[in-house]
Parts: sequence; structure tokens; C-alpha cells
Amino acid sequence: MLKAALAIARKDLSLALSGAQGLVQTVLLGLLLIFIMSLSREPGELSPPLAAAAVFWLATAFGQVLVFNFLYGLEEAEGARLGLLLSPAPAQAVWLGKALSGWVLLFCCQMVFAPAAVAFLGQTVAGSPLMGLAVVAAVDWGLCALGSLLGALSVGKSSRESLLTVILFPLLVPALLAGIRLLETVISGRGLEAVGAWTGTVVAFDAVFTAAALVLFPFLYTGEE
Amino acid sequence: MAQALVRLRRVCRFYGERAVLKNIDLELVPAQVTLVIGPNGAGKSTLLRLVAGLLPPSEGEVETELPPGGIGYLGHKTLIYPKLTARANLAFWQSMFGQPRDDDAVTAVLSRVGLAGFADEEAGVFSRGMSQRLSLARVFLTAPRLLLLDEPASGLDPASAVWLRREIRAVADAGASVAWVSHNIAADLAACDRVVRLDGHRVAYDGPAAGFDAAALAGEGVC
Repeated sequence: MLKAALAIARKDLSLALSGAQGLVQTVLLGLLLIFIMSLSREPGELSPPLAAAAVFWLATAFGQVLVFNFLYGLEEAEGARLGLLLSPAPAQAVWLGKALSGWVLLFCCQMVFAPAAVAFLGQTVAGSPLMGLAVVAAVDWGLCALGSLLGALSVGKSSRESLLTVILFPLLVPALLAGIRLLETVISGRGLEAVGAWTGTVVAFDAVFTAAALVLFPFLYTGEE
Repeated sequence: MAQALVRLRRVCRFYGERAVLKNIDLELVPAQVTLVIGPNGAGKSTLLRLVAGLLPPSEGEVETELPPGGIGYLGHKTLIYPKLTARANLAFWQSMFGQPRDDDAVTAVLSRVGLAGFADEEAGVFSRGMSQRLSLARVFLTAPRLLLLDEPASGLDPASAVWLRREIRAVADAGASVAWVSHNIAADLAACDRVVRLDGHRVAYDGPAAGFDAAALAGEGVC
């Protein structure tokens, strides 16, 4: 399964990064969101770290929808989904492959969002950047595990695309709240031990939706139109 | 008779309230080419998708002796990635079918379908006929024991259609079972062992291709 998942992730990344398909829209949407939010503060005023973290994760959440619509759309153009389903790899390999490629793509977008948020929202990062990267990577995995699971809902009919956002956002709330709290802690330079419960939330979210996806994905990703 | 690779028992398929197939009993055996014919809307494509396991039956059972990955399918879409080169497309399907990366095998199958000179071109710029050839290359590369072809000659020129019939016959002679949906009955019949004719959502004929009277169907809009 891992080999097939890596083949799918490699193929998706090669398609996404050559010609930056899918990425440009996501980055532009996120930057626009950060810029618009920055207009809400007075000139010279600094946004609180909590607000900056919230804007960062909001941009990420919207970007995630575009990323997974793009990734699952790749299989629909010429019906490759049927080929994936007929391969000897389990359906979960598709979920994992998409989650991995989504994880990388989302991280690439965040590498643009982060400096933009620091610049436009007037932040000074007092904590360790490495800690920040670890927080982002951990929260991102949960977002991508869930995004890849629900991305399967958007295949087939275009009317289903709206389902992704409608179902995804309410389920994302715990991960986003935890991400906001943890990132605020990193920006303000406090230790993560002050927000241990939120760290637990991220770990639990990642574990629950990884397990749920492994069980549920074959029922969502089928050959039916 | 050889053991059936796939067996359909009293299979029905509905889309909502509308019946597409009713009480289908069918066995597909190795080394046999089965021509599936019938008027538009008779359920030919649905039948192939049921056999492939891509659709669950609404009623009845589909039993298979095949391991995962044992079925090759070519539908109305080509199942290729337009932004990848022909070679990259085939290399990807090699990985998905658990085969080791083998450029020589990819080159050989591209030569077999007449695309050796286009191996490093993006599949998106291919004509319909070339895309269909690439799709056939994908199917041949994975060497399936059961090959399901839904109008594989669509987009092919007459000479390529002749080539395709020869290839299909060769695949069956090598031991695979082929179920082949076609509207060009008069031309394709000679390459087949058996004919399954769907009409009124049921199997109207299931018997040997030799002696099947294709001319009699011409007036029914089947040919």
C-alpha cells in the first residue's frame, strides 16, 4: 500500500508543481485573505499574535479545499479513478497518496502565507521557528487526513464539490482552534507546555481522522458516477 | 469448459427506479473473446462495469476467481493523465500494479501500439486515436487475465481497427478472457468466439460467434 501511495503522491506532485497547477490559485487566495485581514488594523498598530495565527490558519483552511479539489480532480479528467480502483493496491493507498501530496502542497503554500502574515500583520516571532514548523506539520497532517477523506466526496458530479466545504469546515474546528493556540504560543515565545491540552487535541485529531479514513475511504471512493 | 474467471448470477442493476439490466447470467472463461452487442441503452457498458467490480449489482451476485489487479478495463474515457508524457503515464501504472520500474517494457509496449516515436510527448496533445492506443498500451502492460473493452476501436482509423482485432485475438490466444463491446459487428465477429446480445435489458442471445447472423440485426439498429 505504501509503495502505491508514494507513486500516487509522486505523480500528483509532479503534476501540481510542473506548471504550478492548483498551487497558484491557492497561494493567491491565501495572500488575498491575509492582506484583507491586515486592512482591519490601524496604521502602525500590531495585530495580537492570536489574531495573526487565526488569519494564518484561515488562509490554510481555504487553501486546503482548493488543494484537495485539485488533487481529486486529476483522477476525473480522463476517468483514471477507475484505473486506480482496478489496480491491486487497496483504495486506502489513494487516500494516503492524496493526503501526502496535499500535505506537501499545503506546506508549500504556508511557506508563502507565513512571511506574508508576519509582514502584513506586523508580527515578531519570538519563539523557535523549528517549533513553529513542527506545530504546522502536525496540524497539517490532521487537515490533510480529513481533507483527503472528504475529497473523495467531491468526485464524479460537480454538484458534490460544495459538499467538501459544507462537511469539512465544521469537522476542522478542533484542529484549527488547536493550531491557532499553538501558533500563538510560538509567535509570542512561550513554551508549548503552557498549552499542553491543545497539543493533545492535535495528536488526537490526527489519530482519529487517520484511523477513520483508513476504515471509511473505500466506501466513499468507488466506481459509481 | 475451463473454469469461469467471473460469474454473474441473476444480476440486476437499477439506476434509481430505472432498470438497466435484469436477471443476467453470464460466465467469462479464459482464452475466449466475447463480443457484447446490443442497441444503445441496452446496458453493455453497465455490464462491463459490473463484471469489473466498479459497480455493485442491485440484485444477484458477481463472483470472481481473479486476484486484485487481474482485470484490465478500457472504457469510454482513456484513463490517462493528459499532462504526463506517454512514458510517464505507463510508468505510473506499472508502479500501481506492483511491477518494478522497467523502461524496456514501457518502450516495448509503446512500440506494440505504434507510439514509440511519441513516448516523451504529453498525452494531452494526442489525437483521440493516439490516446486510445496509449490506453491500450496501459492495459497490455499490466497483462490482465480478463480484459474488458468498451468500444475500443472508437477513434481508430480502419487500419488501426484491423490491428486492434489482431491484438485482441492474440491476447485471448495467450490465455486471457476478453469481453468486447462493439457496434461494428460485421467486422469484429470474425475475431470472436462468442456473442452476447443484450436487448430489453436482458441477454437475448448467448452463443457461438460462428453462425451468428449479424445481417439480421442490421435493421434493429444494433450494427
